[in-house]
Amino acid sequence: MIPCIESGIPGFDELTRSNDGTGGIPENTATLIYGPAKTGKSIFTNQFTYKGLTNDEPCLYITTDNGYKQFKNTMEEFNWPIEEYIDNNSLYLIDTISDISKGKPSQSESFIQSYINNPTDIMVKIGSGVHYIYKNNPRFRSVIDSATTLLAYNENMLIIRVLKAYLMRVNEAGGTPIIVYTQDTADSIIETMSKSMVDNIIRVDGEKLYIEAMKGIERRSSPYQITDNGIVIK
Amino acid sequence: MKKTHIPKLDDFLGGGIPKGSSILFCAVPGVECEAFGYQILNGIIEDGDKGFIFTNVTEPQNIIYEFSKYGWNLEQFLEEEKVFFVDGSSNFMGVPPMGKYSIDELSQIEGVVLKAIDDIPDGIGVINNLSTLLDYLEENKIIEIIGKWNKRAREKNTILVYIFTKWDYDPKIIENIKNSVDNVISLTSIEERVIIGQGFMVTSASWTTPSKNMVLFFVLQPGGVKIYIPKILVTGPYNAGKTSFVKSISKKSVSVERMAMEKFPTTIAMDIGHVDHNGFVADIFGTPGQERFDLMLDVLAKESVGAFILIDSSAPQTFARAKEMIKKTQSEAIPKIIVANKQDLPGALSPEQIRKTMKLDKSIPIIPTVVNENIGVEKALDAF
Repeated sequence: MIPCIESGIPGFDELTRSNDGTGGIPENTATLIYGPAKTGKSIFTNQFTYKGLTNDEPCLYITTDNGYKQFKNTMEEFNWPIEEYIDNNSLYLIDTISDISKGKPSQSESFIQSYINNPTDIMVKIGSGVHYIYKNNPRFRSVIDSATTLLAYNENMLIIRVLKAYLMRVNEAGGTPIIVYTQDTADSIIETMSKSMVDNIIRVDGEKLYIEAMKGIERRSSPYQITDNGIVIK
Repeated sequence: MKKTHIPKLDDFLGGGIPKGSSILFCAVPGVECEAFGYQILNGIIEDGDKGFIFTNVTEPQNIIYEFSKYGWNLEQFLEEEKVFFVDGSSNFMGVPPMGKYSIDELSQIEGVVLKAIDDIPDGIGVINNLSTLLDYLEENKIIEIIGKWNKRAREKNTILVYIFTKWDYDPKIIENIKNSVDNVISLTSIEERVIIGQGFMVTSASWTTPSKNMVLFFVLQPGGVKIYIPKILVTGPYNAGKTSFVKSISKKSVSVERMAMEKFPTTIAMDIGHVDHNGFVADIFGTPGQERFDLMLDVLAKESVGAFILIDSSAPQTFARAKEMIKKTQSEAIPKIIVANKQDLPGALSPEQIRKTMKLDKSIPIIPTVVNENIGVEKALDAF
């Protein structure tokens, strides 16, 4: 039996149900979600994050697209308030994009700043983030949203190395990581390498969600919609 | 010789680093390494020399901010023209560059850094980050460039500090890079599923035979790199032999005891010892076994890098209590070793029987011992 954690996306756990009755995201495996821009990849991972938080599964979230404020607003738009989880330190946020030289928002125990073009620093922060979360709960989730921005600001091969180190670190600690990537924004070889690093591959194209690979089940797909409550699989 | 201003490192290097030499800080991904470069630069500038920081990982403004978090005033050094930036980041990020030199094309890096070295004879240059360069340029080109920079630095008596993150490169590339510098300091992690500690070790130094001891460190803001002596916890139920164990593994130890029921001594505060085993140095803390002291166990477990859990192999009725104590340290991700003491007593259970009775995971080693006769103690230490 493959133990799974609830995805938080209505219909997804049913779509991925295996013969032994489990469905969701296989626990302690790595997932890549990719597809064109504006197809709901971030919404998917935000739902995944929020589900974890409400299930007492903390989340290590590395944001490279939206700074803290924007991330918080986006979550609130879908009625997924995160303030409480930031306050109780179960949402551990590494913000690599807010310009800290201006304004310098204060860091707290679980809100950490880093720099998009400094993978060394990002990895240090991920290392201490994993330790921090693991100490409180060995079952946790992690999200990088998105690899695309990391790739845009750095040499691609370097980011592949960084993502590998990230997945290894989170997997070793028992966590379940998801990486977001916007299709066709990097060389096809980088795309292939990204896919080869993960256990599960999910593609979204705005109309359908495809399970291209997942531990324990064959390929599947289903139409989906982006609603006011997030992604719903039909 | 110049001081590195990193605690303990100067001792290992025979007093410091010779002028004109090159140092590579080679870090496992996730281990803090930038602070080492910044701390050396800050110290040497405070000593009255000049320096530069080459950055391709973040804009100079962010580095100034990082320095301020460590409590070092880079801004003042910049104003006084004691330090300048070689900005290899801003142009690539689309923001206005800052500093004496900036780079907008990779091909300029080699020449611009050579100019920077010329500007600060007897000074120090920090190259942050070599791994970022490595993925942009050909491997052979990088080795060639490092060679040229180091040669110029030797001529100018300038110290060059390279920050390097050891991502999963071909080991040959890493070896070649290590061979291109005078001195390699490895920064590694101590892991038990997650990084629980960080250590540095001098791997090579062309001017001396360095001490191979590993030193544990953490990075404080403010403060920078600080070293610490790790704590090892010794715990277990009442009368399992914890104090004797601490005494037998320590060169020196202190115990606060009182006669229990006027018959035998029991620890009422703490056993403290110090162990030096195969180059690993640690302070040992033994807690009393009684439940009323569990508060102390929580606190000590948080600060420890490992725990010995002593049990009396002949007293299975105490195993439940031992299990409870393991649980208390379990929440802290530290390695644990069960020391199955009193194996010489009649009715003592074997390690296998203990594992079964206590339902212990195979990952936790159980070492049979007779602490009073010093049997198995060495083995317990090796198990770490």
